[in-house]
Amino acid sequence: MPELFMRMMKEEWRMHSTIFGQVSFALFPVMIFGISFMGSFLLPYLRPALLIGDLALATHAMFLVLGAMVGGFGLMGNEMMNRRFGQASLLAYSARSLPLSGKFIFANFVVKDTVYYFFLWVLPFCAGYIAAAPFTGTSLPSAFLLLLTLALAFMAGLCTVFLLSSLYVRSRAACGILVIVGGLALLASFLSTGPTLALLFPPYMLYSGFSWGLLFALCAILAAMCALSILLFSAEETGTTKVHGDLFTPLVRRFANLQQSPLVAKDLVDLYRSGIGIGQALFSFTIPLVVIWFFLSLAGSFLPSYGLIVLFAMITGVIGSTMYTWVTEFDSFGPYACLPVSVSTLIQSKMTTCALLQVLPAAFIAIAAVLSGESGNLLPAVVLCVAFSLYAAGVMAYLCGLSPSVLVYDVKVLFTYLVLDGVVFAIFSAVSFANPMYAISSVLLLIPGWLLVKAAMRRWDAVDPAGFG
Amino acid sequence: MAAVLEVSDLSKVYRDVIALDRVSLSVEEGSLFGLLGPNGSGKTTMIKVLTGQIRPTGGSARVLGLDAEHEGLRIRERVGIIPEQESPPSFLTAMEYLEFVGAVRKIPDIRERADEWFDYLEFGDKKNVLCKDLSRGTRQKLMFAQAFIHEPALALIDEPLINFDPIMQDVVKAYLAEYVKSGKTVFLSTHILEVAEEICSSFGILHRGRLLHSGPVTDLTEKGMHLPGFFLSLVRKGGHA
Repeated sequence: MPELFMRMMKEEWRMHSTIFGQVSFALFPVMIFGISFMGSFLLPYLRPALLIGDLALATHAMFLVLGAMVGGFGLMGNEMMNRRFGQASLLAYSARSLPLSGKFIFANFVVKDTVYYFFLWVLPFCAGYIAAAPFTGTSLPSAFLLLLTLALAFMAGLCTVFLLSSLYVRSRAACGILVIVGGLALLASFLSTGPTLALLFPPYMLYSGFSWGLLFALCAILAAMCALSILLFSAEETGTTKVHGDLFTPLVRRFANLQQSPLVAKDLVDLYRSGIGIGQALFSFTIPLVVIWFFLSLAGSFLPSYGLIVLFAMITGVIGSTMYTWVTEFDSFGPYACLPVSVSTLIQSKMTTCALLQVLPAAFIAIAAVLSGESGNLLPAVVLCVAFSLYAAGVMAYLCGLSPSVLVYDVKVLFTYLVLDGVVFAIFSAVSFANPMYAISSVLLLIPGWLLVKAAMRRWDAVDPAGFG
Repeated sequence: MAAVLEVSDLSKVYRDVIALDRVSLSVEEGSLFGLLGPNGSGKTTMIKVLTGQIRPTGGSARVLGLDAEHEGLRIRERVGIIPEQESPPSFLTAMEYLEFVGAVRKIPDIRERADEWFDYLEFGDKKNVLCKDLSRGTRQKLMFAQAFIHEPALALIDEPLINFDPIMQDVVKAYLAEYVKSGKTVFLSTHILEVAEEICSSFGILHRGRLLHSGPVTDLTEKGMHLPGFFLSLVRKGGHA
């Protein structure tokens, strides 16, 4: 067990450092530490405006989502590596070539993910908070308790995804029923208790009122979820070969007016058949935005009546821009290398697909505007959301080419991205807060967005294509 | 015969690795040229440079009269390529992949041509199966079909037979022979020497990025030599013959 575990740890490090560069990746936890340390100094200023418990809840929710994302990536990692590096193989997928059972390898994989990402994300974040505690008036025991409860929140996300995925392989129907029943139970509880339901998230409950009994119960639940996912785990394939109807040609015809219709149609087929479209729409779009809406609504009393929808439109735009990563993350340059397709053509087609997908954030923000009683500001909110999203996607294309999810870990790229988006975010916040109708002027963002895409096409055509990410 | 492929002092350096070291060679129209070499000798890099996928760090290469460094896209329009270890896109079916290739290459009768290839390579029963669910050999058939479906004047193939069973190897070798007879050209890279000796009209030997030898296969056979023996002695010496 220790031998395989250590090698998996090394493999994870090498995988990241190969993709992101040794120094850039080594600096990543340092950057998390720095952000957390400096952010902690804002706490005394935030306290009068926002309950400290709400911030703690938001942080726990963030680590829950992070755990779920790490779990999801771990399970799809081999596919992603194969597409990026060709015939890559991870130890986690070596059950056929090593005299080890799939369950044993999976158990190591679960422990490895927990330990590795604890040191990469949880510890640096909490270390920054703990280091700032003497200066911000936070009690040290409370800061150390946060380390424990955030680690548990992270593990809750990780274990939930592992359990659901193990169950999914065994029985899709059982997994579907569990998700639907769980979702309905949460919805029913939410309707009866309102936002206070979130306060019942066990790691947060432990943080707000520590008790040994709750700690043991929580650890027991997580251990049981882990054990169950390992017991249910099966590396065996069903052996059936499904036959599919032609989706590609009808899509090419439907988008015949677009310049790159075959490439766009391929992207849409990829998103649909791989499940990435539905998975990302749920886990990377809808759920984070619902969580963000919930927390933004806590700050509603500090904003003008229309402020919430304006702010939410821009945040939805930021999240909407990540749709550019949806269409690049699981693709590779390989299949295009034998065709007369250049990197610039691919960037253009991926941006076109991303633009088509903007129907999702537009619909989402329109629904949010209607539900929040801001129907009068529906048009500026939708324009602001989509324009900001396309601008941010243009920034991403320029900075990262076809590898946005890889280069996000490059500190320099991430910093530039945050500055370029942050400045525009600040300008349009100010403009829209003055009068929500002014948000329509954000349509002007399409000009720098388009120029950035053009610059990206020139910039990345001059570089040997390394792949996607 | 005119040269369809001319390489002069071509070099490619990846950081501290010299993948190609001042390689010069010429391939005539209507020939089947085999680029031979051990693993890591630079064969795949050569095909990538010739098809404009990566840029050389020195020298020049012209393919069908086009400059590989600056006209890669136009080269890829006119040639067929089978890259080593590349698979078709996972979530398209075999038929959809050929339709995709046809749409990008603007081939009007792509479905008819695709059906001909499904019949010729005997995998019509797999045409509606996702590429990710195909066996390695079937994926190789699909890659072979996509490279020749637009009837290119030149095909550049990296390890063309490596995943095929003996029966399919025979079918493919026969196809390549007919293809060359029709005046078209094949440039293939392989380290399977027996195959190269059987089907190639001329060859080059690449070792550690350097071209150790190039010439017609008949030059060897006339001297009573065999390609595998010649290759091994040359590579072991590491110098010129």
